[in-house]
Amino acid sequence: MKKCKQLTVEICVGTSCHLLGSEDLFESLKRLPRKIQDAVDIQGVNCLQSCGKGPNVRINGLILTDVTPEQLLRVIETNFYCEKESI
Amino acid sequence: MAQVTEVGKIRRRVLAEMARMTYEGTLQEKIDDILETVVTEQGPRYRCCVHKERAVLKERIKISLSQSLDLSLKEAAANALSGEIVGLPIVNVLPEACDRCPIDKFIVTDACRNCVAHHCINSCPKGAIMVVQDRAYIDKTKCVECGMCKRSCHYGAILEISRPCERACDVKAIHAGKDRKATIDETKCVSCGACRIACPFGAIVDRSMVVQVIERMKTDKVVAMLAPAFIGQFGVKLKTGQVIEAIKQLGFAEVYEASFGADIVAVEEANEFIETKDDRSFMTNSCCPAFADMVGKHLSALADRVSTTVSPMVATGKVIKRKDPEAVVVFIGPCIAKKGEGLRNKEFIDYVLTFEEVAAMMVGKRINAAEVTASEYTSMASRDGNSFAKAGGVMQAVLDTVQMTAPEVVVKAHHAEGLGNCKIALLQMKAGKIDANFFEGMACEGGCVGGPATLTDVRVTSKFVENYAATSVAKVAPENEPAMDERKKVVDFHQHHA
Ligand code: SF4
Ligand code: SF4
Ligand code: FES
Repeated sequence: MKKCKQLTVEICVGTSCHLLGSEDLFESLKRLPRKIQDAVDIQGVNCLQSCGKGPNVRINGLILTDVTPEQLLRVIETNFYCEKESI
Repeated sequence: MAQVTEVGKIRRRVLAEMARMTYEGTLQEKIDDILETVVTEQGPRYRCCVHKERAVLKERIKISLSQSLDLSLKEAAANALSGEIVGLPIVNVLPEACDRCPIDKFIVTDACRNCVAHHCINSCPKGAIMVVQDRAYIDKTKCVECGMCKRSCHYGAILEISRPCERACDVKAIHAGKDRKATIDETKCVSCGACRIACPFGAIVDRSMVVQVIERMKTDKVVAMLAPAFIGQFGVKLKTGQVIEAIKQLGFAEVYEASFGADIVAVEEANEFIETKDDRSFMTNSCCPAFADMVGKHLSALADRVSTTVSPMVATGKVIKRKDPEAVVVFIGPCIAKKGEGLRNKEFIDYVLTFEEVAAMMVGKRINAAEVTASEYTSMASRDGNSFAKAGGVMQAVLDTVQMTAPEVVVKAHHAEGLGNCKIALLQMKAGKIDANFFEGMACEGGCVGGPATLTDVRVTSKFVENYAATSVAKVAPENEPAMDERKKVVDFHQHHA
């Protein structure tokens, strides 16, 4: 069985981040390849305490600010990997 | 709404900062700080230098205060705080920000074969075309941008390129002036906001009354009226009761839904339709101000087809003022054109804000709607009244009402979205090419849920509005008893022209 790294992506849906485009971030995740989508746990959070610098995202505990859809996809793709098939 | 662009983020940050300072009472003293907090020394930079960036920002702030560009920021702030609103157009081009998009309207491409017939040279009324290096060449100093050459070329080798703002404007109200800066012809503009969305430089700005409203809330009873498109706008995960509470926390004493007035409008329009159907070949809605304005300014021969019934905004304003003449009424919607309609109906509508501006006010007052405790909330309107937010909704509401009150009357309805499409449809209806006697026109694609100041995707909110409308107890407008009751009390819901 191939094991892939689990990523938890929390997108802030608080008013400040919503106003600055967090909805676009959710939308952009649909462009990820299927196998990555399956390994990513996407959640909405109410605030990441960095309002005003949004839209903000927390990936496996690390907070990223002023994230664009392109940046988000790139960060997920570079942090995603699967272990080699074990025998 | 299209994606939130960098330009959109700047606009929204400015509004949020203005709101924060107004709530905190520091606008007058600190307004110049916005220049530094929104445009920082480290960037990102979109224009040549930080000075240019700040010069643009200054203009943006002044228009957002509804003040003249000639004032200093401090003077503009003082005027806005005292409630003043100058007679600016609703949609303005910022002179500093317009890039004068250096576009040569007609360019000769590689497809030019330097053919023997050279129709281009023959067609040009100004003798602006010559052959240079085996190819047609347009002398820009003589070209008057008439487009004859483009039409004449059998190879299609001449391209027409237009500025984004010009292309977006379906009523051809925006053009490059002599200095190549965009200028809006007020006699043609219907304040739809399409150019504001289209300009990649953020050079087009609608005036705002955020500061005036916040100040007013410090002394008066201010009532909010939400356009039916509000569902889902402040975040798709929010409960309606959370939105209502968050709006109250901004300082609004009460919250109404404009869809309450929409139920009254549906009945008034249905009656008007029944009474006048023999006198005119068709009737149109009047609720979309950009659409109604387009008919008035560009298709005046059809002006008498527009219903005399007031919009749901004005109808609800009349209801609120009947109950409490002292109440200050603020309409909150997805729409820029409503800002103009509000000014034309000052008696019933004191201010018009957009969803974007109201969300910025929440940010400024540090209200996070996602963390607000929801109150119990049920809609004040029928299913049909709530559906005014979506394209086809007004048409359906009028159809259902006629069916209920006068089933023998035949309504053949047709609808269109987007000003250009509306115009085409109207001309076809006028020529008798479309078999319909009622027409719904919406300036925005998707209806108001696709308005220029929305915060959530049009398809998503369209679905949300549908689900919300399904929760209404009353299905069709005449079943909304409180609204029908108010309809009797207010009596007059029509616009009377001289
Ligand atoms: S009609 Fe609309 S697109 Fe044209 S100039 Fe006015 S606001 Fe801009
Ligand atoms: S469709 Fe709605 S949002 Fe768009 S201009 Fe008309 S009233 Fe305004
Ligand atoms: S609202 Fe997103 S960080 Fe606070």
